[in-house]
Amino acid sequence: MLGFQQFGDGHLQNYKGCKWPFSMEQGGDNMTKKTESRLVFWIFLAPVLIAFVMVMIIPFFLGTYYAFTNWTSSARADSTLKFVGLSNFISSFKDPAFFYSFGITFLYTVLNMIAINVAAFLLAMLVTGQLKLKNVYRVGFFVPNLIGGLILGYIWQFIFNNAIPSLGKAIPFLNFMADPNNLMLSKNTTALLAMIIVGTWQYAGYIMMIYVAAIENIPQELIEASKIDGATPWIRLRAITLPLCAQAFTVTMFLTLVNSFKQFDVNVSLTSGGPSTMLFGQPILGTELLALNIYNTAFISNNLSIAQARAVVFFLVLAIISLIQVYVNKKKEIEL
Amino acid sequence: MALLAATMSFAAGKLTLMQNKPEIDAQLKAYAQAWGQKNGVTVVVKSIGGTSGGMGPQLKADYAAGDMPDIFAFDGLEAYKEWEGVILDLSNEPWVKSTSVAFKYNSKIFGFPVAVEGWGMAYNADMLAKAGIDPKTLVNYDGYKKAFEKLDSMKAQLGINSVVSMAAAVEMGWVTAHHNFNSLLSNGLPYGDLSVVNALLAGNVDMQRLQEYADWVELLFKYADKSVLLTGNYDAQVGAFATGKAVFLHQGNWTDPNIKGANATFKMAFAPHGSMKKATDGIFVAAPSFYAINKESKNLALAKKFLVDLAGTPEGAQYMVKEAGMIPAFSTIKLNPDGQLSKSVQEWAAAGKVYSWNQYYFTGDFRDKVLTPIYNQFAAGKITKAQFIDLMAKAFKDNAKK
Repeated sequence: MLGFQQFGDGHLQNYKGCKWPFSMEQGGDNMTKKTESRLVFWIFLAPVLIAFVMVMIIPFFLGTYYAFTNWTSSARADSTLKFVGLSNFISSFKDPAFFYSFGITFLYTVLNMIAINVAAFLLAMLVTGQLKLKNVYRVGFFVPNLIGGLILGYIWQFIFNNAIPSLGKAIPFLNFMADPNNLMLSKNTTALLAMIIVGTWQYAGYIMMIYVAAIENIPQELIEASKIDGATPWIRLRAITLPLCAQAFTVTMFLTLVNSFKQFDVNVSLTSGGPSTMLFGQPILGTELLALNIYNTAFISNNLSIAQARAVVFFLVLAIISLIQVYVNKKKEIEL
Repeated sequence: MALLAATMSFAAGKLTLMQNKPEIDAQLKAYAQAWGQKNGVTVVVKSIGGTSGGMGPQLKADYAAGDMPDIFAFDGLEAYKEWEGVILDLSNEPWVKSTSVAFKYNSKIFGFPVAVEGWGMAYNADMLAKAGIDPKTLVNYDGYKKAFEKLDSMKAQLGINSVVSMAAAVEMGWVTAHHNFNSLLSNGLPYGDLSVVNALLAGNVDMQRLQEYADWVELLFKYADKSVLLTGNYDAQVGAFATGKAVFLHQGNWTDPNIKGANATFKMAFAPHGSMKKATDGIFVAAPSFYAINKESKNLALAKKFLVDLAGTPEGAQYMVKEAGMIPAFSTIKLNPDGQLSKSVQEWAAAGKVYSWNQYYFTGDFRDKVLTPIYNQFAAGKITKAQFIDLMAKAFKDNAKK
């Protein structure tokens, strides 16, 4: 009904007085229409819904169930499915490598979120400013996002291991880069930094697009008024641009948080979890993020049910953190 | 009913093989297609290999989905145990008599050996000649130490970056914690001797043997190029040897096509590992993987015939040796591969100077998640040799408790 009002006056005139078939007054007819449209609604939704149930909902509950069993998905001589209670969870929490992965994933997530958002916001400011060819830049910054993470990891592995040292050999004052002791992927701290560099390079362009949309939606008159009032660019950024981008921050923070926490493909191809480090006198993999730890537990250690238990913990932690993040950001939106 | 019959006949006309050597995928597919045409069946070859679990995850997914391949590859005892329930006993197959490296368990044959492979220290014979080093002296720690010191002093003359091309990054854990680790397990022992393996599995560490082994690991790491050692991948490691930047390569004969691809023209062969004070005159030779037949396959007869023909027909031999470049595991096949390192493995094997591959008696978990980081720490110089020995000894003791 609301739709009619948006037509021009002339149209409204034409419809005045005539009984529109979809109008509320026609009770019986309306019922069949309603069931029909409901049917259409479900038919259109069905393909997505079936796919979603098949590959998300069912595996989710099946997986949660397996986390409490000794499931292996192999034909071992002693492989009968048994319910084992919480023992998969308990053994996971006794594994120092799992704890280490948790810690390093938190660290990676925080640093990666900061790096991506700062880079993306700066890029967004750049390409919404007075720049020639800004559309070309926008495309350029976005393109890395279209390359798969695995390939990206191998490309950057080549850059860190071969390109940078060769550059160091060629340019005299960059000699330190050719020293094998300075290879980024040879130490676990710098390897983590390398993963952040690659993660930022891959994802900043995508987040930039969200910021671009937000910045372009800021009413021009606010900017002009502030200019007349003599506000410096810094004050304009703080008092106008940032508060009015609050909604975008909720989205970008959520996306970068979830994306960093679930990082897997770049981890596999760039570092494979290495180099090693010491924890409680035990050498373990130094950059093995949670997702890779779960994968390795499943397919290298052949402990599918323990991996499944870890995945359940992973899901719960990520769900709680992201709910808190969205809550905090939403609150900020209102405050600003 | 018609539909059911149709699906059944369709299923009968298909034989699925899953294997773990992507490098021979094209050759195997071509052979399988030709064989399939002769036998009125479509052979589907799935090749999944490389790092991070290899074909294990896919096999598990297929098993969970009730879609196990008819023939699949496995690499040793631990993998066998994983699939024990579906692997068919092949003891009565005709090819069993003509091979000595089939997979045996409880005196029954369960695996068809895909090929024979070997590793030792691959050396650049031209450079050794230039440095006046006789490869025959490379049979123990002292022999290698002398040779490495001499070569290291001649770096500029030989145009090399380092003496050895060795890799110890986490991604290359299969070089350290699988292949090099095997020197500790089988070097100098009679073929098939499991005394050291069983002692270590029980947590009893022969400290003398471990110390000598640690000296060997230290020697390899010390004379390796640091960037290849700590961050290099397979290409970087093999490339350094193939382009004449290193005299030795710690790899096996599967590098032949890669070295050929890099247009290497020098003479090369394998020398034994020097992991002990006493002379160990032999290299590590075995079948790297085996084909198993799925007990629950609808095409048992065809699957068996596929393996019989692979070992027993001229076409099978042609594919195995000339197309895929593998060393045949069967005495009935008389062809020789072309690669220099493969020929070297054949010579060692023909002379009976071989040691077994015992690393598969330890789980993937133990090798990849426990040992790999220990080697990596040692390579990076973060732990001393004494710490390396302690950590290795502790790892065996902890493993025995599990």
